[in-house]
Amino acid sequence: MTENKFKYIGRERRTKEDKRFVIGAGNYVADIARPGCLHLAVVRSPHPCARIAAIRTEKALALPGVHYVLTGAELEEYTKPLQQYLDTPNVRWYSLAVERTRYAGEWVAAVVADSRYIAEDAVELIEVDYEPLPFIIDPEAALLPEAVAVHPKHGSNVIYRRTFSWGPVAEDFSKADHTLAFRTRWHRSATVPLETFGVISEWGPGQDILEVWASIQMPQYVEQIAAALKMPQNNIRVHYDVDVGGSYGVKRGIKHTVMVCYLAKKLGRPVRFIEDRLDNMSGGDMHGPDRSFDMKVAFDKSGRINSLKIRVLDDVGAYPGRSPLQLGKPIGAIVGAYRIGSVEYEAISVTTNKTGQVAVRGFGQSPTNVALETAIDRVAAYLDLDRLEVRRRNFIRPEDFPYLIPSGTTYDSGNYPAVLDKALNLADYERMLVRRDELRASGVAAGIGIATCLEPSGGNSAFEGLLNPSNESTTFLEAVMVKVDRNGTVTVIINTTTSGQGHETLVSLIVGEELEREPDQIRVVHSDSLNGLWTHSPVGSRMAIMMGGAAAGAAKKLKRDLLRIAAHNLGVAEDELAYDSGTISVAKDSTRKLSWEQLVIIAHRQYQKMPAGMEPALQSTFVLEVPSGGNLPTPDGRIQMYPCHSFQAHVALVSIDMGTGKPTILDYSIAHDCGTVINPHIVRGMIYGGAAHGIGAAFYERFAYDEGGQLLSQTFMDYLLPSVHEVPEIRQTEHCTPSPLTSHGQKGVGEGGYLGAPAAMASAVNDALAPHGKTLDTLPMRIRDIWECLNLA
Amino acid sequence: MKAASFDYVRAGSIGEICELLAEHGPMSKLIAGGQSLVPMMAMRLTKPSLLIDINEVKELKGISAQSDNLIIAGGTRQHQIEASSEVKRFCPMVQKALFWVGHPQTRNRGTLGGSLVHADPAAELPLVSVLLDAEILLQDADGEESVAASEFFLAPLVTALRPDQCLVRVSFPIWSGAVGGSFHEVSPRRGDFAIVSAAAQIALDEAGNCSRVAVGLGGVAATPIRVFAVEEAILGGGLAKTQLHELARLAADEIDPEGDLHASAEYRREVAYVLIERALTDAVQEARARMGASS
Repeated sequence: MTENKFKYIGRERRTKEDKRFVIGAGNYVADIARPGCLHLAVVRSPHPCARIAAIRTEKALALPGVHYVLTGAELEEYTKPLQQYLDTPNVRWYSLAVERTRYAGEWVAAVVADSRYIAEDAVELIEVDYEPLPFIIDPEAALLPEAVAVHPKHGSNVIYRRTFSWGPVAEDFSKADHTLAFRTRWHRSATVPLETFGVISEWGPGQDILEVWASIQMPQYVEQIAAALKMPQNNIRVHYDVDVGGSYGVKRGIKHTVMVCYLAKKLGRPVRFIEDRLDNMSGGDMHGPDRSFDMKVAFDKSGRINSLKIRVLDDVGAYPGRSPLQLGKPIGAIVGAYRIGSVEYEAISVTTNKTGQVAVRGFGQSPTNVALETAIDRVAAYLDLDRLEVRRRNFIRPEDFPYLIPSGTTYDSGNYPAVLDKALNLADYERMLVRRDELRASGVAAGIGIATCLEPSGGNSAFEGLLNPSNESTTFLEAVMVKVDRNGTVTVIINTTTSGQGHETLVSLIVGEELEREPDQIRVVHSDSLNGLWTHSPVGSRMAIMMGGAAAGAAKKLKRDLLRIAAHNLGVAEDELAYDSGTISVAKDSTRKLSWEQLVIIAHRQYQKMPAGMEPALQSTFVLEVPSGGNLPTPDGRIQMYPCHSFQAHVALVSIDMGTGKPTILDYSIAHDCGTVINPHIVRGMIYGGAAHGIGAAFYERFAYDEGGQLLSQTFMDYLLPSVHEVPEIRQTEHCTPSPLTSHGQKGVGEGGYLGAPAAMASAVNDALAPHGKTLDTLPMRIRDIWECLNLA
Repeated sequence: MKAASFDYVRAGSIGEICELLAEHGPMSKLIAGGQSLVPMMAMRLTKPSLLIDINEVKELKGISAQSDNLIIAGGTRQHQIEASSEVKRFCPMVQKALFWVGHPQTRNRGTLGGSLVHADPAAELPLVSVLLDAEILLQDADGEESVAASEFFLAPLVTALRPDQCLVRVSFPIWSGAVGGSFHEVSPRRGDFAIVSAAAQIALDEAGNCSRVAVGLGGVAATPIRVFAVEEAILGGGLAKTQLHELARLAADEIDPEGDLHASAEYRREVAYVLIERALTDAVQEARARMGASS
């Protein structure tokens, strides 16, 4: 392990946020009590597709305590449709169904009452006349020309379709010694935060400000509320000091928010909507990618992979929103960790009568990584080579960085062979092989899973313009303000909610490091959308890089101001000064110095001692654009997607009960490289949680629909999350290849566990099945699926 | 997921429970641990107008061995049964079943009676009561009635309990001889309702021959079932390993399970076969070990 050159960064320090959560003093949206607050409940459609002939609300309105019933027709009249990120003007999406329902569970009406209990009583009294219409559930069938269109005015179910070709694909395939093809299926799953989505809104008529408290993790939240409500953005105040009880991408909530804001303003009372689990699972923002990959691989007899052809079909459900862009982000790491010279990528996004898809951790990367890592294992099996050897032969080598992949992204840094070796050492791989074979000899199926994953980080919006040429925005900034008060204490202002990432810890460590002030004594506060600066929220593993980088930038500016003040008062040039923990002295005569306190007094109170023309007081802001950002895509669809590229290697041993198909993870090791670790606890927690999340996607979690378009897994009885019994102890070790693009060499780490684990589990199960001549390429690999694979022809 | 409006009363005795049930009938519901009832109320799958809380009724709690029976009162918490030395000594099969029931948190609240009257066809306690020929004592304002477990479970979530009756206690017969038992199940995750469960208990006489046997399955029919054909074959002398294999096949071929999200009908049948064989093998092995230990 390299020596840690930092004072606070990378040290085993407690996180700043733990205390309030451990003592039960978090401030979640459901904890926010507004006087006179009304409660909302929704009527859910039982039909996957039906014309709404009539909604009769009289009985509900007659119930004591009921204030209002809102329908889609009213929303259509007074609000604008919610944003689509592709150029699809005829896909119109509102908070409540307008004219027809497009999935079972879609919200058709909303009741506002004195309590959620009364609101639910009233929901039962609302009579909706539905005229059922034909619907489509299967994504392949939805592609066919004769398929029923989910949005008839759009003309078909195809929301996005483009074939990218980067490099000499046809030539590479024709020259290859071998080719192989296979299909992987990633069924619809998600992330399941303990806290469902919730929002409270209140209209302050005196100030004409719409207040919003929400459990939110979403870029462009405020401007989309403003657009939908046709309201100036500075009439809306989103409070970012609300703790968010988990998100991992899904806490978007724009449809909830527009409806609640509209009602709060209309009724002149605070309105609150806290989803219950049924609202959340069936009709909320909960369903992630739902994909099949048709993979073709061209490779030579040594196992070197020359080219890939990927056709991916993603079922985005009824309302696409931002979700088609989840086919875009994987382009930034389309070759994974490997030197693959050319790639064809056909990306198809299709609507069906299912719940709309939303962003999930990794933004489409995890299903893609399963397909890529399966390709490596297949090549190894085809050539009868060791899976590790094939990976090593194809790895981008340490000396290759910065490395340009065919689709236009340059990877910043990495050392993949070293990280893989660390994972193998941690797993005691030779011993693991012996153990696997002993298990096989004892009559169970057993397999070792090997997977690597690239984690593109530093969250950028490059895929927006790539998939939608009419969108020329290339900026995905993050801002931080640092200020020192008259008593010398430091406060940092950040401009987004936090859903478990530990932003307060992050910026206090970075500002503390830069100013050499104790991080525990640095206050970090969340602004609101009116009094703070700008954010694009914690998406795409970006905040260590972006918020951390902005915090470093602001602290450095503030330190320069201190040096300028000191130079002026000590009568020397700035470059003749030494800075030590806030005290500034003349480098060659340390008796001539000004303490932190003295500098603060000058800045705040003694204008006569300030350099001419300098602003009084001590504060600085820094707005950071994504490193390597600011570019539009080339016509052939190449672009620098994200700036930084973390890497992980997963090694796991899985046994399978041949009689029941039940898998057990016996051993699990992960080696990871996210550059400079800022707080080891947060990094380890992210990796453990991410891997647990990936184990869920690999074995348990599935939003399954029946042929009638009904969602079968609406509660935790049927949507199965892995628990402490299923997630094993996971050993971790780290490697550090600093990023040259970030303030302290850090990269992102919020997604890698989830990107590696499903691929590792698929690899383990297939290694276990291999002696039985079987393969299983569908996730989740439920016990019934494994059993059927083993026992049925 | 908010329950519809209901009234609540806390009962102090079985007599009071029966009076309340007689007065309010089908619109009233008893609540003990609430581990199944409360989620069903929250989802408005059931809307009782009166909840009768029986948690304070002392007569509904306790475990005692009386002559040939182990008696467990209906309101006894599952975790107390799990920890009871009497259950371990006289009827360890109940603890083997409890090993698979939920989680410590749910067993701390859940009761024996609550699980039986809920009658989930995949639940473990209904299976063990059918397996062991338990007698279930029901009481209403007019008096007591004893129902055999085999006649208690009628369909998924449907039992012989009338709306004016309270489940008072359950008698599990205590087996004599060298007794071995085993409970196997498969579920996607630890603590879930079983996809399939199989239980077997066997008693050997001094010569090592089977003197009594019970084999049951859960999750494969509308109620927990016994596999009498297998029991008869074992009593007829079939204890060898190869025979157990064939008997398990016989049992699996007799059932007609249904498929759902978590398992196909075929999966249930074939896994029933696997689990019965395991349960029988383990039960025989344990009984033989007991026989060895006592001689």
